[in-house]
Amino acid sequence: MLYRATGPSSTRRCIDLTAHAGRVAAAHPERAPRRLPRRLRNARAPGVPRNIGWLYVLPGLVFYGLFTLAPLVHTVYISLFSWDGLTAKTYAGLANYRTAIADHVLLWSFVHSGILILFYSVLPVVVGLALTAALTRHAVRGFRFFRTALFLPQLIAGVVIAQAWSWIYDDNGPLNAALRFIGLGSFVRPWLGDFTWALPSIGGIGTWVTFGLCMVLFVAGVQKIPSTLYDAARVDGAGPFREFYAVTLPGLRGEVLVAFVLTTINALRSFDIVYNTTAGGPGGQTLVPSLYMYQNAFLYNKVGYAAAVATILAAAIFVLAAIMLRFGDRGEPS
Amino acid sequence: MKRRIAIVLGLASVVLVAVVAVGTSYGAKTGTTKLTMWSYDNQDPGLEPVLKQLSKQFEQSHPGVQINLVFKDFNSLVGTVPRALASGNGPDVTEGNQGYQTDAQLVKAKLIIPLDKYVKKYHWDKLYSPSTWGMFRWTPDGKSFGKGPIWGLAQTGQNVVVFYNKTKLRSLGFNPNKMPTNFAGFDRLLAQVRAKLPKGDPVIEEGNQEGYGFIHLFGGIWGAYEKPANIRNWIYHVPGSRYDTPGTIRALGKLQQWAKAGYFNDDYNAVKYDNTAALFGKGKGVFWIGGDWDSTIIKAGLGAKNVGVMPIPPGRSGVWSGIGGLSGPWHISSKTKYADLGAEWLNYVITSATAKKLMFGQQQLPADSSANPPATDPYLTAVFQAFKRVADDNGLLLYTDWASPSMYTTLQNQYQLLLAGRTSPAGMANAVQSDWSKFDKTLH
Repeated sequence: MLYRATGPSSTRRCIDLTAHAGRVAAAHPERAPRRLPRRLRNARAPGVPRNIGWLYVLPGLVFYGLFTLAPLVHTVYISLFSWDGLTAKTYAGLANYRTAIADHVLLWSFVHSGILILFYSVLPVVVGLALTAALTRHAVRGFRFFRTALFLPQLIAGVVIAQAWSWIYDDNGPLNAALRFIGLGSFVRPWLGDFTWALPSIGGIGTWVTFGLCMVLFVAGVQKIPSTLYDAARVDGAGPFREFYAVTLPGLRGEVLVAFVLTTINALRSFDIVYNTTAGGPGGQTLVPSLYMYQNAFLYNKVGYAAAVATILAAAIFVLAAIMLRFGDRGEPS
Repeated sequence: MKRRIAIVLGLASVVLVAVVAVGTSYGAKTGTTKLTMWSYDNQDPGLEPVLKQLSKQFEQSHPGVQINLVFKDFNSLVGTVPRALASGNGPDVTEGNQGYQTDAQLVKAKLIIPLDKYVKKYHWDKLYSPSTWGMFRWTPDGKSFGKGPIWGLAQTGQNVVVFYNKTKLRSLGFNPNKMPTNFAGFDRLLAQVRAKLPKGDPVIEEGNQEGYGFIHLFGGIWGAYEKPANIRNWIYHVPGSRYDTPGTIRALGKLQQWAKAGYFNDDYNAVKYDNTAALFGKGKGVFWIGGDWDSTIIKAGLGAKNVGVMPIPPGRSGVWSGIGGLSGPWHISSKTKYADLGAEWLNYVITSATAKKLMFGQQQLPADSSANPPATDPYLTAVFQAFKRVADDNGLLLYTDWASPSMYTTLQNQYQLLLAGRTSPAGMANAVQSDWSKFDKTLH
């Protein structure tokens, strides 16, 4: 895609040299050289990536290759074997994948992840949008502080979050104490030990973690929406809801897409919070694919199968992200 | 100008850090022999202070030797030790876990060495009976449990017993000096206690968050309905043995009935094992059914005079039984440079007179069958008697999760489902036996 100059106010004149040479040749056929001089032959339109660009990305690419791509390929390779992680491998072809497809435990773990997506992704985006809409109408004092404070959970290690929330959800913890205090004592339960409520409880932790990210994205995004649009909407008689649907939401389209993709990937990958709160229990109600992969690799000594589970999970995340990006880009003004 | 200063400072600090790092590592290498031990006996009070104290004394009697004790929780250690040993940078001496998940794996991958020559050298054969040695024997392919060379040895005897709050029992109108001597009587007592206890207080305080709480508790009920020898054979994969026997299913039904009757605290899946011992020590619940390695924690809370100890009384067979055996097995890494020194340390912490004294001081029972607790500590004597009674009756049921690499997770899930009423005793027995059978096929 050519990068275009912004118009007469640009101080630099961008010259497309090959196009220029072409125009000269067309206008003066007798002057046109049969072959363009070297300088013009190798010239490219400004902004078109040149080979030297590879040198700039090389360091980053090396790291990416070593620490992301190579292990990915290696994992797919291991998934073709039956291996306990310590002794010799035996080739098994696609047997691990056949087992995985028939594995009910794996299927349910994906279902649990799907439920977590509601909490990690949908809920924070919705709440984030609502709050952003409210904040853009009225200036809130101390807003910078809130923006920082709400983003902090993103910076805390997963293990720490899991431990702190285990205490909050404890039978004698602050959540139950608060429920008792306001008279909702009948709602008190062992949240992380309850068959129905363990997964939503973990979802709640996820909402708390990712909500700040969404807020920051949306608030930053709203600032690039020109205020003239809001003025125009108000002149046309739009109330707060109409304003939101007609101006804010379309303007935040890109940010909402990014928020969805990031938080969904986060939800599907989440391991540390689940492992450190319920370890997949009770009775497997909070088992997610990443935890199942861990159990197979390090507890059941079935590393080949774990690699297959990991590959399937990676493929699922990739497909989901691709669908979201493709769906989000449709209708994007070009 | 400011930028230049910043760059120079940055470079200088990097150089400084590098020099310090090299310096300290060099200093540590010269002169000292460093041995690293991994253990999950991290209860304090409990075995942790014993091991720390003994290691300090070992260092004093062996100048130039440094013992580096690393304590981890059970799940973390068991999950990482095979890879740590394989790396060559792992522990020299470490605990493992008897059974197919951990020890079989370590033997098969040749990560630990056989200890038979040390057994001869230090006369360790006197420590336990030949049948007890079975739990440390594996054929070198890691497939047959109970025969072959010896790969580990344990420091303490352990079993799961009932701790009861004497003061609370008295206040409810029961006589703590006349506890039931058979299972039916114990079952009746629990019902009577439930009837008299206020609603929010559990009869049995239980912690199952790590997944092994109910594996332990179930043992005493199991032994009341099924022969201990059959249970042990099933763990050892003796051909033809089964989990889904009528006796086992009845026992699972009894456990489920206890849950339905509301004997347990309702947050048992969310709270950790050792934490519930501490809570029981602070007065929650009337009974705590768990490992005697937490006996010091309980004593610290309730005081030795207010706690009683006994195994779950026997069923109709009259055999006293419960989950238990010996503590985690100590292994010597096959990649260590100091195998002999490691064996010497093991000998010291397991058989020396100082070790036995320190263990008793923390209410831990030396595995050495010849050890006798000091008569001046009635609580310790009670804990010891509870162990001896079961051991003498050949009622030690070992640990059920030893039966396959995935058995721990299977049992964890099934117990949680059973206690919540989401599966039937027959359903659980079926699931456990399937896991066993699937693994059993790979052994023959």
